[in-house]
Amino acid sequence: MLHILLDSLAMIALCYVMGFLFRGFYRQFNARLQRRWGPSIWQNFYDNLKFLLKSETLIHGPMFFFGPIIIAAGAITTVLFIPFLKDSIWLQGVSAHGNLILIIYLLVVGPLGNALAVGSSGNPFGVMGVTRGLTRLMGLEVPFFLGLALVMLQHETASVQAIMAAQDSIAHWNLITNPLAFAVILLPFIASQNGSPFDVVGAPVEVYAGPRVEFGGRLLGVLMTQNMMMTVAKLVLMVDLFLGGASNIFELIAKAFALFLLTTAISATFPRLKTEQTVDFFWTVPLGVAVLGVILNVWLI
Amino acid sequence: MTTNRPLLLKLLFLAVSLTPTLTLLTWDGAWVWPLFGEFELLFQLEPLAAFFLLLLALGAPLVALPMARGTPDVPTYALFVLLLLGMQVLLLAGDFIGLFIGWEIMTWSSYLLLIRSTRATLEGAQTYILFNLASAFLLLAGLLVFYSATGDFQIAALTEASTAQRWAVFVLLGLAFLVKVGVLPLHRWIPLGYDQAPDLFSAVLAGLISKMGVYGLLLLPTLFPDALAGLAGRWLNGPTAGYGLAWIGAITAIVATFKAISQQDIKRLLAYSSIAQLGYVLTALGVGSSLAVGGAILQTLVHTLVKLLLFITFAGIILQTGQRRFNDLGHLIDRMPVAFFAVLIGIIGLAGMPPLPGFAAKYLVFVGLIDARWLLLLAAMMLSSTAAFIYCYRLIYGPFLGHANSPEARDATEAPMSYLIPQIVLMGLLVLLGIFPGWAIEIIVDPVLTALNLAPIGAPSWGELATPYGGYDGVILMTVFGSAFVIVTALFWLARGQLRRAGSPYDLSFAGEVPTADMPLHYGAGMGRELRRIPLIGWILAHTTTGIQAGLTRQTLATAGLLGGLYRRDPQTWILLAVLVLASVPTLLLLNGGNS
Repeated sequence: MLHILLDSLAMIALCYVMGFLFRGFYRQFNARLQRRWGPSIWQNFYDNLKFLLKSETLIHGPMFFFGPIIIAAGAITTVLFIPFLKDSIWLQGVSAHGNLILIIYLLVVGPLGNALAVGSSGNPFGVMGVTRGLTRLMGLEVPFFLGLALVMLQHETASVQAIMAAQDSIAHWNLITNPLAFAVILLPFIASQNGSPFDVVGAPVEVYAGPRVEFGGRLLGVLMTQNMMMTVAKLVLMVDLFLGGASNIFELIAKAFALFLLTTAISATFPRLKTEQTVDFFWTVPLGVAVLGVILNVWLI
Repeated sequence: MTTNRPLLLKLLFLAVSLTPTLTLLTWDGAWVWPLFGEFELLFQLEPLAAFFLLLLALGAPLVALPMARGTPDVPTYALFVLLLLGMQVLLLAGDFIGLFIGWEIMTWSSYLLLIRSTRATLEGAQTYILFNLASAFLLLAGLLVFYSATGDFQIAALTEASTAQRWAVFVLLGLAFLVKVGVLPLHRWIPLGYDQAPDLFSAVLAGLISKMGVYGLLLLPTLFPDALAGLAGRWLNGPTAGYGLAWIGAITAIVATFKAISQQDIKRLLAYSSIAQLGYVLTALGVGSSLAVGGAILQTLVHTLVKLLLFITFAGIILQTGQRRFNDLGHLIDRMPVAFFAVLIGIIGLAGMPPLPGFAAKYLVFVGLIDARWLLLLAAMMLSSTAAFIYCYRLIYGPFLGHANSPEARDATEAPMSYLIPQIVLMGLLVLLGIFPGWAIEIIVDPVLTALNLAPIGAPSWGELATPYGGYDGVILMTVFGSAFVIVTALFWLARGQLRRAGSPYDLSFAGEVPTADMPLHYGAGMGRELRRIPLIGWILAHTTTGIQAGLTRQTLATAGLLGGLYRRDPQTWILLAVLVLASVPTLLLLNGGNS
């Protein structure tokens, strides 16, 4: 029991630290590409603390308050169901009691909690953002899940630990053995990280609308915290599934960072698509590749 | 004495609504009713029928309770009782004759209940009865072919029949049950019927009557053992005939989901979502493996609970506000908190989100599809089940969040107790099944699987759902999520700072303006409209199946016109002709000396 508690705390802490460092790196990386200096790599940590320590928070009713809490609880649950390391008793959380399909569904708890809170705020522009987010979710989940299904079929299991254990050397990484699945998943994965070119406009950017439009103070802090944690959790999941998992923390950070660099580079290159363009894109290109993968993997073999 | 009569009547009605429970608990052995000749009606309780009787036993009293409110409506009560009787006859029947009798009683009593609604139109009522009669006649035709092949009406495996006969039985019975389930393009009666039926009766239609179609479909593996594979061989890891069935289900689910998103009326949205949910069941039944059929059974159970919950809750809202369109409600969360939680639990179940049992059902179906290697079907199911999030969000946003958009929504109060009790019971059941998926598998699903000659799924413990592809633990999931929720809330309260509620609902970040009360701030109606810009969805929403049915009507009219051409204006001629024929044939026979 104590072991699980300590382990869970360690996982959450690791996720948080990696989260703000990765996000800080992202801001600086983008700035350098745009020939700016950009903020310090610690900037996200400072911003997050500032939000969490605000003295006043405006709410629009109970559901508005509980929405971010649901999202944060969903994020923590997701993190704990993803095994971070293989061949180790540490950083496992409760992953032995879950599986890949459960994790995919837990990833959706956040958007739905968000939808409840934003709807409760009564701001129509916020709800517009939520609808865009849910529409994008509908677009990305189909190729994403089909790619994951190819992996599950390959290993005949939905357990992340078993899939990770089966990739014992570089030659057995799913990236090498099942490159089509990785190609299918990569772009929907960027979309699930809310990365450009598939991002949904956040609150106070150039358009005054979006899911975050009404949140401020400590609630915004909670949302930011969970967002950073989820970024890392999804990266770790991809490392587990395609890059052979990791045996120690440094390997984990290195692999996750490599993947993050790849997705960041893609995001930095392409400008944002409209939501309906995103969905149409996902249902043609990645889904087309996925169908090709199914035909190759299932029908021809 | 006279003052007590309504009360007595209501008590009697409630008591009768408990008969499915009584049947389920006490029926043992077989009860034979000799009919004519060598035929007899056989009534026995098979495990498969027992599962559907369980749904009936759960649903009937929960709907009867709010129905018994107010001045007693004797015809409605009588018809409801008749309906319950019909469904029990149908489920207990061990032969096709009993099944058909039950089916007919159910069809007619539900039709008469439907037209008691003040909203029922001629079109709606006609559509309902026409489709359901078509279903009944297909059933009749199927059972006659079955009889001609086997010489018996007993529901048993069809082993000695020729291929043509097997296909005839499969198609006729399959179509009969698919009409009841409402697959595309045989679904027209569902949105019309569920929409126009009395509000509480819609719960029965969606929750219980539609399940009789699923019961029929589950009889098909009994008739065609080896999970339909005997019909047309196998495709990948599953039966080919089932592959076709599964695609019908998946396309139904996708189209119905997008139709649901575009509805403006709560009950119509729920009707389309019912079609979509039963589409999943059909897909799973097509796979035919123990995992997928287990998922289908669990999905049937969850869908019954969810639809009873949602229809009863929205019946309460319509009762209190008189409004039924997303546009005319809004911000009921403060005034109807119980209804809000009911709909919240309902949509979590409908969307198949963990930790509620909808997820367990979806998980089994997904794993079943992966196991059968039918991955394209998996993608199709994923498409409709994520698109379902959007209509689920409409269901909660439209009535409960945002801004109140009508005077009735502004001062509504919680529905009466008789509506709230079923809501609370159903919420409790859903949560319990979510925490203990293993229990649901062991107690409810496995007996049915064993009866269908499939391997039981089994469960290591009550909380655990286990499959060869891995599983999950509902208790741990709920514990982790619950603790995380409590800890985050506690940390939030412990941190310094204060929460302040916005002074007015118009205190919004609104691009530098201050919105006023007359600004339309509720986004209930427009939501989802922009989806039409996505080519696939735009295409689906721009087409309807009314074209097919209009074509069918034209063809029928043309055939009728052709027949009418033969029929002279003066019936006397025909009658004379008939009399002449009838008179002359025996005469000729007599003249021949009767040696024919």
